[in-house]
Amino acid sequence: MSTRENNDDRIALLQGTLDLLILRTLLLGSCHGQGVARIIQRQSEEAFLVDHGSLYVALQRLEERKWIRAKWGVSDNNRKARFYSLTPKGREQLIEKIGEWRRLTRAMDMILEPGSGLKGEEA
Amino acid sequence: MFRRKRSAKDFQAEIEAHLALEADDLKSEGLGADEARWKARREFGNVRAAQERFYLKSRLVWLDKLLRDMRFGIRSLLQSPGFALTAVLTLALGIGANTAVFSVMNAVLLKSLPVGDPQRLVYLRTSDAPRGTGTIDSNLTFSYPVYDALRQQNKGLTPVMAFVPLSGSKVAVRVGTEPEEAEGDMVSGTFFSGLGVSLPLGRGFSQDDETQHAPIAVISYNYWTRRFARDPGVLGKTFYVSAVPMTIVGVAAEGFEGVEDGGSTDFWIPLQNRRELNAWGNPTEDGKLYMADSTWWCLQMIGRLAPGVTRAQAVAQLQPVFQKAAYVGLGSPQAGEMPPILSVVDAKGFRGYDQMYGNPLRILMAMVGLVLLIALANVAMLLMARNAARQREFSLRQALGAGRGELLRQLLVESFILVTAGGALAWGFAEMATRLLGQWAQIESSLTPDRTVLLLTLGVLVFAALLFGLAPLRVALAGKAELALKTSAATSNTNAGKSRMGRVTVALQMTMCVVLLVSAGLLLRTLQNLENTPLGMDVDGLVVFGVNPNIPSLPAGRAFYQKLIDKLRVLPGVESVTIAAARLGSGSSYNNSMMVDGRLPDVANGASQAVRSNVVGPGFFHTLGVPILSGRDFADSDTASSPHVGIINEEFAKRFLSGVNPLGHTIGTDDGQYTMTVVGVVKDHKYRSIDEEPIPMAWYEYAQIPIIGPMHVEMRVHGDPLAILPAAQKVVQQIDSNLPLIRPITQRAQFETTIAHQILFARLAGFFGFLAVVLVATGLYGALAYRVSQRTAEIGVRMAVGAGRGQVVWMILKDSLTLTVGGVVIGVPLAMLVGRALASTLYGITPLDGATYLLAVAGVTVVALVASAIPAGRAASVDPMRALRME
Repeated sequence: MSTRENNDDRIALLQGTLDLLILRTLLLGSCHGQGVARIIQRQSEEAFLVDHGSLYVALQRLEERKWIRAKWGVSDNNRKARFYSLTPKGREQLIEKIGEWRRLTRAMDMILEPGSGLKGEEA
Repeated sequence: MFRRKRSAKDFQAEIEAHLALEADDLKSEGLGADEARWKARREFGNVRAAQERFYLKSRLVWLDKLLRDMRFGIRSLLQSPGFALTAVLTLALGIGANTAVFSVMNAVLLKSLPVGDPQRLVYLRTSDAPRGTGTIDSNLTFSYPVYDALRQQNKGLTPVMAFVPLSGSKVAVRVGTEPEEAEGDMVSGTFFSGLGVSLPLGRGFSQDDETQHAPIAVISYNYWTRRFARDPGVLGKTFYVSAVPMTIVGVAAEGFEGVEDGGSTDFWIPLQNRRELNAWGNPTEDGKLYMADSTWWCLQMIGRLAPGVTRAQAVAQLQPVFQKAAYVGLGSPQAGEMPPILSVVDAKGFRGYDQMYGNPLRILMAMVGLVLLIALANVAMLLMARNAARQREFSLRQALGAGRGELLRQLLVESFILVTAGGALAWGFAEMATRLLGQWAQIESSLTPDRTVLLLTLGVLVFAALLFGLAPLRVALAGKAELALKTSAATSNTNAGKSRMGRVTVALQMTMCVVLLVSAGLLLRTLQNLENTPLGMDVDGLVVFGVNPNIPSLPAGRAFYQKLIDKLRVLPGVESVTIAAARLGSGSSYNNSMMVDGRLPDVANGASQAVRSNVVGPGFFHTLGVPILSGRDFADSDTASSPHVGIINEEFAKRFLSGVNPLGHTIGTDDGQYTMTVVGVVKDHKYRSIDEEPIPMAWYEYAQIPIIGPMHVEMRVHGDPLAILPAAQKVVQQIDSNLPLIRPITQRAQFETTIAHQILFARLAGFFGFLAVVLVATGLYGALAYRVSQRTAEIGVRMAVGAGRGQVVWMILKDSLTLTVGGVVIGVPLAMLVGRALASTLYGITPLDGATYLLAVAGVTVVALVASAIPAGRAASVDPMRALRME
């Protein structure tokens, strides 16, 4: 594992959420690994820390599951890079995972803030 | 697209690209080039770790580990080559022997005839043939009129098929110019369709072919391969059978080799009706061929049960038809004669084989099963001993963090290596052994191992691999990690339960060894008895071959043989020459009752009137070396025109002419048609086979009887009997270029064929007994050597406190003798049971032969002592000081 000191307020990613973030990122269009890491960090307003080692393992895993596919190409600044894009299967998975995530956060909310959950039920 | 694994190099390229891109981004954010590169790297974290994770993720890690384990296993086995070699050879012998015997058993007993729906095929049987008939076998063969009647019945069995060989052995055939010999049958037109045998090439026969006696032939796949190299152009070729031209119209399905006993048929022709092709190659009797002769029961029959009909129903439907047809042409049954009864038996397997080899094969299978058990136990014990000795290694590995799973995998892999090597060797060994078995047993049908055999062998191998992997695991895990820190040999091996199991295993091996040795001993004694049975003649220097000439008339036949004998006699190196209608030592003979002084002899109730007769040429007894007790041999002066003379043996004289001088009495055929005067009495000797009992025999002179056919030529020569054959062949072909020498062989070898399967059986049993002894000896040696090495410290202590060398040796020997006594006590009664099962295959020895049992017991005792001697010696030479210092 990374031995970096973790003294800023960035959050280590929850297990399994990295896949979801990668898939969501690739929904915007094909992108290389470094770009995916950047986008995730930017879009979370630097809140998420993406361990690059984990990122590539995750990309590898998704590729093996045929949720994404990869192709060597050239980046905007003319560097060779491996570009990942979403497969139809990956798209389905993304929708499913987003649903799962919504259910999870809702359940978490209900437990962490019972009042609002109950209110929600009454409404 | 095929899923292609990414290479580690590709992954590395991607990471490098990532670092470059990141550095670019950082630069654009205002950092210097070096700082950007450094920061990118730092941001990424541990590049190596990422690569390693990629590697673990993407590889078949288990395969990697497995390969590593394999390499480690092979290395560690190579470190103890003695152990590895012993284990692999033990396995190869144990499993190979099983595979070989099972291959034969599978081919001979378990496989079905390669016919359609074999369950509904039956052989026809009769309880007996009516009086006044001649048979090939009184239960198996029927007359043509019976066949004709049953066939036309068309219910119960549809169809009923007849088959009959063209000769008792092989028949002369010719494709090109050279005469050859082959085994051929005449069969019904419905033969192939009724049996459901397909013809990959050409066609089978039709009912019309049978009715019109079409001159066509179907050849077996085997013969097609052997003789014609599977040339499809064989169809339409002319195939001369006994000089009668036939056209080959088909090739039968692979694996179908006829429905005859034992042998394999090379070709089939429709039932014929001509002199050259009479059933069994016999001469015509009173000018009648088999089809017209209701007194000659020579055809075998096989039938297919009609749809929805049970065996009992089929027999019930056919019984009256059969009993009526049995007497066609014979007149009504004699007073008090029981009509013959028809029955049917299973035809789905190879009947002849089952009779000949069924029991011996089952017994052999049981024997090799025991050998396998001994072998497996041996290897398991060896492995346990070896792994116990490696206990420190295992403890150390556990202490260093190896999981139980990893140890198990290691053990399984090692056992897998052993079993694979042993299995591969076993398969090669089995292939060889099967071929030898087939040759010795003269089983001509295919013995190639099929799927069943393969599955059995694989099953045994998998079982062995698991057994060997798991058995030592207990020992390996017994030593916990902390054991690595202890160093005392005395404390690390105090597992009493383990050694008790080892002792029980050794004792059981002894038991099996006793059983195997007793069976092997009984069979080897049987073999000895058979081989030392006097034949009553001098077979050395005798060679025999058959000739089957085309005989247009009686005088022509006599002239042929006279000419042949005359020409052969003058060949250099030939001492004497004679001929005989039935070949000696071929297992068959002519059997009839004979009139003595004008009537059938009185016999005590139940005794047989049967006489074995033969038709022979001049100088027959002189040529064979059979002593003449009184009177004379046949001579050239006995001709068609001189008074009819006959010769009998002692047993005939004793049984039917007791108390009188047999010379001058008249004997003859049971129908009174042919009579002859007894001019000689010869000493009893063997006719059909080595193991026959003395039986009345009588001989006709070939030139005097009103029938003549194929003959066997017996030649007594100086030197190697077989060396005369090329010259003899030349002589025969000078007379008739169509004639091959049929089955030329020395007379000794010919007689030995009659005990061929006993010889084979005994040799195999002896071999397996020997194998068992060797295995038990190595097993015992291994176990004891191991125990002694474990007790080195204890022995050292004992010797240090004053025990003598003798006491130490005795301590070790006592141990193995105790085990031997245990094994013998259980083994002997078991062996007696096995001996009882063997009884029918024994000759000249009882199943409870004391000497054999004593020898077997002595055998295991010697094995136990020899196997213990080396470890005991080693124990006695332990230097107490060194043994103690080792601690």
